[in-house]
Amino acid sequence: MSAMRDPRKTFGAALTSAAERDAAIVALSVDSGLSSGLGQLRATHPERYIEVGIMEQAATGMASGLATAGKVPVLCAIAPFVTARNFEMFRNDLGYMRQNVKIVGRNAGLSYSQLGPTHHSLDDIALTRMIPGVVVIAPQDCGEIEGAVQAMLRHDGPVYMRIGAGGIPDLFPPGPFKIGRGRVITEGDHVTVVSTGHVTAAVQDAVADLRARGIRAEHIGMPTIEPLDGELLLASISRTGRIVTVEEHYERGGLGGAVAELLSKTLRAPHLVIGVPHRFVPSGPYEDVLEACGLDVRSLTDRIAAFAGEEAPLVS
Amino acid sequence: MIQAGGSGHLGGAMSCIDIVTSLYAGILKIDRRHPEDPARDRFLLSAGHKALAQYAVLTLFGFAPESTLDTYGSYGSALPGHPDMHKLPGVEGNTGALGHGAAIAAGMALAARLDGRGSRTVVVLGDGELAEGSNWEAFAAAAHHRLGALVAVIDSNGLQISGPVGDIMDLSSLEAKMQAFGWDTVTIDGHDYGQIDDAFSKPSEPFGRPTAIIARTVKGQGIPGLAGTLESHYWTPSEEELATALHELDERIARLLRHERREVSA
Repeated sequence: MSAMRDPRKTFGAALTSAAERDAAIVALSVDSGLSSGLGQLRATHPERYIEVGIMEQAATGMASGLATAGKVPVLCAIAPFVTARNFEMFRNDLGYMRQNVKIVGRNAGLSYSQLGPTHHSLDDIALTRMIPGVVVIAPQDCGEIEGAVQAMLRHDGPVYMRIGAGGIPDLFPPGPFKIGRGRVITEGDHVTVVSTGHVTAAVQDAVADLRARGIRAEHIGMPTIEPLDGELLLASISRTGRIVTVEEHYERGGLGGAVAELLSKTLRAPHLVIGVPHRFVPSGPYEDVLEACGLDVRSLTDRIAAFAGEEAPLVS
Repeated sequence: MIQAGGSGHLGGAMSCIDIVTSLYAGILKIDRRHPEDPARDRFLLSAGHKALAQYAVLTLFGFAPESTLDTYGSYGSALPGHPDMHKLPGVEGNTGALGHGAAIAAGMALAARLDGRGSRTVVVLGDGELAEGSNWEAFAAAAHHRLGALVAVIDSNGLQISGPVGDIMDLSSLEAKMQAFGWDTVTIDGHDYGQIDDAFSKPSEPFGRPTAIIARTVKGQGIPGLAGTLESHYWTPSEEELATALHELDERIARLLRHERREVSA
């Protein structure tokens, strides 16, 4: 059993450590900093921990203003409130103004399952990747979060990072994070399975189960959705002939949407988009909600197996 | 610009023109030769549709050649319908959607203070714009963080596209509202250069109450036949109307210049 770590604490510690080295980094809190693991930063650098209360619109605008003067503002809160609530500020003040601001949506996907659709974030990838110039990343484990924090701070421009909550397993040995690069987790030749974010752990288990059933899936982890690592994907699909995308996000507009757009311009291949069905999802225990949405390991395995077993791959 | 582009938000541009002119004429410390100087004062037009005013003033003070004005309305112009910081020196933000500028300005003021700079940040908002709730978030945050070097000028021309501001969304008692939010207020005639200068005469403190200057103004100020009318909001004149207005304005300027010369010689 691999170690379980909390994405929020991991993010908070990584940002605090980066802020120790770079005085330009300022954290903005919308009554959200302490739950984002930034308590230590507030204690050691109170002048660079800016609390504005529950006002995501103004917080986003203020982040833009801070960035015009060379600060590197980082705003972290529950994902829907820093993507949907403040969308126009994100688009105009950060995207159109090309500001060096980092927005981190935590408890993304269904990880606040009990709190219901107001707190689920199933459209944040779609919203943010629709803004020209915004980098969208969804690290798959806590090691990637640590690397992604460094990478997003090094990147000059607006970045949206989505992270989950609770304990998630470590999947990969620690290493540098490169924006726009995917990684082959398991090699295979029957079907390409690409996943993003913390759902990758379940997909990894599903891929192992598929292997036991004789289906050799090639599993690609894709922690950057924008810009997408199209080269890696197309190389894999040209060998396997089929692709499945998996995300804890609506089936529309997220990783599946990005891959479908890529395929429409490149090669034709059957594509199964696995995500959350396009509806407001009832609340409940996380595992139950995932199962209801077909994102548990058994559902993933069955759905991919059925898709991979279909007749004749079509690549042209 | 209206001639080149055919139309524009002239009414609001003219209600704030004297304020914007005063700011660049001496109130703001901005060097046109170094518009990126980190120590500069910052000016943000939250009511970005009034960009015509800023474009005219920026070219008047040499931030861009006057010929730039003739590109207004053309594809890819440095003077879009709403300002673009990446296209025209002196523009500090991409405003246009209302309710954005106050928060951006608050961030600018905060950054200046973090860097130990005494520079001032001035944002101009429209009175109709104040119905956007995001402004009030920003006003609260600016007061809470005691951004004493932040000044918001409310261009109160009393009219918005559908009618009088008081009929559309009544935000009267603006002084009391701003004071309750933790701001100092001063109310002036926004077309009186002396009053505008006086309102900015108080030295700004990095920590203190931010200041709201409520400027009573006239929409379409100075445009013959258009001042104080709703029609001035987005003016699309016929060639004849434009020629008449320009002619009357030229005559008025000539009269004023003669008057000034007489005063100087007297």
